[in-house]
Amino acid sequence: MPAYIKELTNILDSNQILSDTQTLQQYSIDGKNPKLVLLPNTIEETSEILKIANLHNLAIVPRGGGTKIGFGNEPNSVDIVLCIKNLNRLINHDVDDLIATTQCGIKLKEFQKIIKEKNQTLPIDPPHIERGATIGGIIATNDSGPKRLRSGTTHGTLRELFLGLKVIRPDGRIVKGGSKVVKSVAGYDLPKLFIGSLGTLGIIVEATLRLFPIPEFSQTYLVSFQRLEAAYKTILSILNSSLIPTCIEMINPNLSHIISNKLNIKSGEYLLAIRMENVVKAVKSQTSKLKEICLDKGSEGIILEDNLEDKFWHEVREFPWSNPENESVVCKVSVLITDVPKVFWKLEDLANKSGLEILTSARAGNGVLMIAFDGDIAKLTEAIISMRSFVDSLKGNMVIQKAPSIIKSKIDVWGDIGSPLSIMKKLKYQFDPNRILNPGRYVGGI
Amino acid sequence: MTLNTTTKSQNWKENFSDRLIEILGKDGVISSPDELIAYECDALTVYSIQPISVVLPRTAKEVSEVIKLCNKENIPFVPRGAGTGLSGGALPTEEGIVISLSRMNKILEVDIDNQRVVVEPGVANLWVSNAVESSGYYYAPDPSSQSVCTIGGNVAENSGGVHCLKYGVTTNHILGLEVVLPDGEIVEFGGKALESPGYDLVGLFVGSEGLLGIVTKVILRVIRKPEDIKTFIADFERVEEAGAAVAGITAKGIIPAGLEIMDTLCIQAVNEAVQAGYPQDAGSILLVELDGPFDEVEAQVPIVMEVLKENRAKTVRVAKDIEERALFWKGRKSAFAAMGRVSKDYYVQDGVIPRSKLPEVLGEINKLSARYGLRVANVFHAGDGNLHPLILYDSSKDGDFKRTEELAGNILKICVEAGGSITGEHGIGYDKKHYTSLMFDEDDLDTMNLIRCSFDPKGLCNPGKVFPTPRTCVEQGRQPYRVNPLQKAGLGELF
Repeated sequence: MPAYIKELTNILDSNQILSDTQTLQQYSIDGKNPKLVLLPNTIEETSEILKIANLHNLAIVPRGGGTKIGFGNEPNSVDIVLCIKNLNRLINHDVDDLIATTQCGIKLKEFQKIIKEKNQTLPIDPPHIERGATIGGIIATNDSGPKRLRSGTTHGTLRELFLGLKVIRPDGRIVKGGSKVVKSVAGYDLPKLFIGSLGTLGIIVEATLRLFPIPEFSQTYLVSFQRLEAAYKTILSILNSSLIPTCIEMINPNLSHIISNKLNIKSGEYLLAIRMENVVKAVKSQTSKLKEICLDKGSEGIILEDNLEDKFWHEVREFPWSNPENESVVCKVSVLITDVPKVFWKLEDLANKSGLEILTSARAGNGVLMIAFDGDIAKLTEAIISMRSFVDSLKGNMVIQKAPSIIKSKIDVWGDIGSPLSIMKKLKYQFDPNRILNPGRYVGGI
Repeated sequence: MTLNTTTKSQNWKENFSDRLIEILGKDGVISSPDELIAYECDALTVYSIQPISVVLPRTAKEVSEVIKLCNKENIPFVPRGAGTGLSGGALPTEEGIVISLSRMNKILEVDIDNQRVVVEPGVANLWVSNAVESSGYYYAPDPSSQSVCTIGGNVAENSGGVHCLKYGVTTNHILGLEVVLPDGEIVEFGGKALESPGYDLVGLFVGSEGLLGIVTKVILRVIRKPEDIKTFIADFERVEEAGAAVAGITAKGIIPAGLEIMDTLCIQAVNEAVQAGYPQDAGSILLVELDGPFDEVEAQVPIVMEVLKENRAKTVRVAKDIEERALFWKGRKSAFAAMGRVSKDYYVQDGVIPRSKLPEVLGEINKLSARYGLRVANVFHAGDGNLHPLILYDSSKDGDFKRTEELAGNILKICVEAGGSITGEHGIGYDKKHYTSLMFDEDDLDTMNLIRCSFDPKGLCNPGKVFPTPRTCVEQGRQPYRVNPLQKAGLGELF
């Protein structure tokens, strides 16, 4: 028995060390099975595991709910999957100050449920909530949804709401960074370094987050356009108005048809969905102004409320992930707001030429698009390469969030990083000199 | 050429000055002592150190060449914007140079449709809003010194302002940076588009107080100006009531754009200094500003009025027009300067506390004030918990400043004990570096040292700031250890 296994049994119970084939397959990453799956119950146990791994140069893949385990390039090697789902306590909810500190293995769904009792919310809506996405995983990937539109406040993504953290360094040291208040410039901004770092610098075990009151009322105005130009002009009018929507989403014809069929509503080619959240009076008044803007561009929409509204946004968030077993490719593309139509046209062009099914929903006020590609694998590969090159020409970013192995082996999921890569490698070297955390999965092969 | 501090010769400095002139031209280098005086300190004037030279580059390339020369000769360098900083962040180092970014002051691009403005670091904060005003946009982070302070300085300090609770701070509005690293390499972090893959180096760099490099280009986000603004001013007998009113407003689901509290001493000073017209005998004043679409603001007004009355506001006034709004704010914005009316000198601190702890912390500050025999006026960004205690003293009185510093340190301790921070927006700089360990233990500081080592292993970029003692780095590629100039000068030791 390798020495490290004995050391692990000294700190963990047998039910926290899993090695049966079925479990190992279940916890695989890009088809690579780990040798062990570990389930620490405390921060101290997690720290001890890392010390052992660091000593023995074991490759560790941190994991929460496993909903985004397919992110990143294929790992160089995997010895241990370190799952922190048992570190799931909400430690403190400071209602008056609108701040909460929680362990990172907590599911977002559970977290929201607890703070909802005090009428507060973490205003993020990434996918995978029903599948058990954890706060830790969302931090590690900075995953986000339609509510990232920055309208009138600092909502944005979790990056803007992540104030402080406790993280375990690869050598086992438990350290903190940031603060537990809304504003602090003491020391380097560790939360910014760690958010989106895909578990390559340390294992984040505690997070202090900024909360918001739950808006009194929500309503979505859904309007369709036959032509892309009209939809896009409408978006520009909205952005240049006094309206402050929570979401502005533009959906391509393929996806529009799927969603309207599911919801049993009539729809045209390009769907525009604008969500307003505020006090009742303000929502109704803003929606009627919105109606005027849309009428001016030739379309009248319908209002979605309550269950239908929830269902709609659920479809928008989850569309790329509805069939996890299939060999589709999911990308997040980010371009300038004014380049969003160009991406739509490029996708239509690709679809026509290749016969692939391409679905996309754009956070049009941010220039961020979620795109799902499905079809013949050879055509898929060609299309992704073409798309990457196209987005590069627009000086945008394209990250592949899901792809079959054959595509991952040909294309770096992150794209070319350019000049800052050397600093990123230096940071990785300083934090994790033995490269035990997620080796090879991050940008530039970090 | 090695720097030998014990047998310094005048030749060495002249030689170095010549090399700088080669890079920047004669008008790009200041070396005469009387011209250097202006650069000896920033707005924290109690500390001053004369640099050996000040350089005024015009391009990133010039910045890079200067930094490469400094690396070659082991000379530390300190970046400087407008010098309005309150924590000594731009205080020169002994035997070092100052790199002033004031000549890099162009607005390079205004892209309204994409909500982006690209600027050089020497551009003043307010110029950005001015450039996009006619399109109905503005740049949200608005520190009180915004007509002078530079974007580069804002980046270094992650500057805030009076609208942080709703609109965030500088780091929430920066999308990309061009940076000259401490070894002279020019790199780009982020960009005009969102979601740059890799570590968030933009987020890491903002607020790093000039320790990780020098920014030479900044990509900012601008946002729509709100349709409607309503400003209230309420006075209370006790500051606890003002604090409770703040909690009451947020409990109703309202996030105001601005929430400011001032205490009696402040009120009296600003009434005298700028005729602010605040109720002279009030225990505290609460300024509330709502902004947003017309209907949202109108719906919020009666709710705010009710909360204020519930919390025993003695009078409540709502500004009826732009002029009155400006008058309400005049007092608050002149608070620091007005201290000159009631005291010969003042020392401003910058602690942050959880909002709900305000009454408790003010109580502690009052006790300390009595103990030290020094008056403390308080201005509080009630929305985000950022407290500015103004300690009033007389520098001509023996020992007054020393006691002021001690009192300030104790206030910071209270803030940290209350679960807050030692700095909300002014930065740690030189001023508070010995208090950094109130918030961070040895392992935490060691972790932050990993970051410094990734960027500045030689320790030449703005050394002696933020952290209590310099630390060494495990050098990548195992190069032979080079003695850090601070260690050589006896200012720090090897761990």
